[in-house]
Amino acid sequence: MARKAWGNGSVKSRLNHYNRRMDARLAAAVAAGKAIAWLSRRLGAGAGSNFPGKVILRLYGRAPEAMASHLPGGCVLVSGTNGKTTTSNLLAGMLRAAGMVPVHNRVGANLMTGITAALAQASSARGIPRGDIGLFEVDEATLPAAVERLRPRLVIVTNLFRDQLDRYGELESLARRMGSALAGLGSRAHVLLNADDPLVASLGKDTDASVHYFGMDSAEETEGGLRHAADSKHCRECGSPLDFETHYFGHMGIYSCPTCGLSRPAPDFAASRVELAGTSGSRVSVVTPTWKGELRLPLPGLYNVHNLLAALGGAQLLGLGEEAVRRGVEGYTTAFGRGERIPVDGRTLFLVLSKNPTGFNEVIRTLRGEGEGMVVLAALNDRIADGRDVSWIWDVDFEELAPLPRRLVATGTRAWDMAVRMKYAGLDGTRLEVRGDLRDALRAALDAAGEGETVFALTTYTATLELRRLLTRMGAVQGLWKEGLP
Amino acid sequence: MTAPVLRICHLYPELMNIYGDRGNVIALTMRCRWRGWEVQVTGLSLGDPLDPSRYDLYFMGGGQDREQMMVCEDLAGEKGEALRAAVEDGAALLSICGGYQLLGKRFLTCTGEDLPGISLFDAETVGGDTRFIGNVAVRCRLEGMEGTLVGFENHSGRTRLGPAGKPLGEVIKGYGNNGEDGSEGCVYRHAIGTYLHGSLLPKNPSLADWLILRALRRRYDLEQLPPLDDALEEEAHRAALYMVLRKGPRLRLPRWGGWRASGRFG
Repeated sequence: MARKAWGNGSVKSRLNHYNRRMDARLAAAVAAGKAIAWLSRRLGAGAGSNFPGKVILRLYGRAPEAMASHLPGGCVLVSGTNGKTTTSNLLAGMLRAAGMVPVHNRVGANLMTGITAALAQASSARGIPRGDIGLFEVDEATLPAAVERLRPRLVIVTNLFRDQLDRYGELESLARRMGSALAGLGSRAHVLLNADDPLVASLGKDTDASVHYFGMDSAEETEGGLRHAADSKHCRECGSPLDFETHYFGHMGIYSCPTCGLSRPAPDFAASRVELAGTSGSRVSVVTPTWKGELRLPLPGLYNVHNLLAALGGAQLLGLGEEAVRRGVEGYTTAFGRGERIPVDGRTLFLVLSKNPTGFNEVIRTLRGEGEGMVVLAALNDRIADGRDVSWIWDVDFEELAPLPRRLVATGTRAWDMAVRMKYAGLDGTRLEVRGDLRDALRAALDAAGEGETVFALTTYTATLELRRLLTRMGAVQGLWKEGLP
Repeated sequence: MTAPVLRICHLYPELMNIYGDRGNVIALTMRCRWRGWEVQVTGLSLGDPLDPSRYDLYFMGGGQDREQMMVCEDLAGEKGEALRAAVEDGAALLSICGGYQLLGKRFLTCTGEDLPGISLFDAETVGGDTRFIGNVAVRCRLEGMEGTLVGFENHSGRTRLGPAGKPLGEVIKGYGNNGEDGSEGCVYRHAIGTYLHGSLLPKNPSLADWLILRALRRRYDLEQLPPLDDALEEEAHRAALYMVLRKGPRLRLPRWGGWRASGRFG
């Protein structure tokens, strides 16, 4: 009877017909997306990294899974609050060093729309991606949807901090949603988690996938006592406060629960020794199940050591060897806004994305290595992508930044909030300047710096984009899209 | 007169601190230091006894559900009694969001938990299924403080004041206590409960001084506080107020500059 409802003709031919129709629909959607991306670039409207994806998803809701199903190497997802972009860029470098072509959303467009746009951008007119493997950074809240659609073979979670609680609800419920997303993975998938983050380490307990950990075993680089920005200080199992034997930053460290006995999982990919060298990078001794060695990481700060371990672990789980890892790390070029050095007017602009308390505290720690008397440009925006709520600046230890700059220029849509924060952190009025307009602020900061000096720009997400756009117009850097999309 | 010492009791600093609430303690501290006065901040957590004779000003921030439950249990009994006695005695208190909810009569969470409060404020809170999120402006109705308050709210609890509950002010823009009756916060003697994060006090310096003056008056002979240069704070207040009152979403004009810079169209 059921056959009858389908009408005449075999099921197979119906299916073929259906598939052809869907192929046509995918091709049309991809063509529309590409056209819009091209147009937006042509008009200088920016990188066009989300809107084309929106259009494609509207035209054909299953476009991302249809395109991703053609990737021979499957998909890898990188999620977490901080370090997604750096981790996935490091991993992309390692994959390229191994001769693979990753399809990669490099511009940090990490919602479903951005992933769709990146896939379309890399695809042929029929919607077949020209690449070996999908490598996508995914916003924490988007992870469940991305896992369900893309059926990844590897999911990496870097860390979980309070970032934009006004968007995501509270950290605990976010962790619950991410945990159940990982529970949906099959037994052939891999999950790579940060052992040093108690919240992230607990995410792997319900999944069938094989779970691996990365973490730092170096006790030298620590800070005393938990910072104000520490978010996850209680055991997720029983709620009692965790004991930290070693503490790196935020709530990262070597911990155990005195009540229920939960402890930090032993990392499979570990840093046994870390030697930090200010803003220029660090030397890291790594231990993996198959090899040991020392790597020179051209990225500053302890947080980037975590990113390195996450990328290195991911590379090994994908079958890459030491050589590819080494070449990927050492040939790394900074992702946009993550510690870039840009020459402008005879000065150097050091651009660091600083978007949440833990990230900011780490940046401040790195700046302390530069001594005193520098010029700082601090741009605080409250656009949707930054989080509309800027109260997180009160959780940053700006008290440690305050003695450093001889001039700090506050700017962004929330310039005054930034200025008030710095005043209460102890920066006196003679060293503080407020410029609402980013262009004026950049000018003021460059003028305050001497020839050949470095201006440290600490900027929230959209402020980084705006600053970058401004620099493009000034001719200091190439357009973002020229290098942003694969 | 000897230089005043402000003794702040920070309740549950590691459990109840969300959306930068500790900025309020920083603001109180710095505003006393700039006047040349000493400040002692004592953190009290689960199980620590509260001696009301030792503090002038109490502060409690907001927290997530689980932390709130732990604090609720800890406040039941003697500690809650001591806190109420302190406020009856004229001590100043500021509680934000989750802290405010626990100082009311009860808080019925959206997961069905019934948390009894210490009934300092005549207020009851029921968890809702949507969150009230956004910038807020409030016309302040405190005795001895005119003007507006600005902040950021983010809460799912709907608080309703009882007959004895006096609101902190009226919402000019935003949701406030429950999104319906236009009231925001609650005041009892020198105790304030409010939903305003922000942090609240740095951008509302006159409220910070209102609390400091009342906290110190019990022990020192103070008519008024020596004024500070608040030009920066007031500018930030004005900027935030302007941002809240501006109607509609922020429109961003097309980037004509981009066209010209590309050299193709102009």
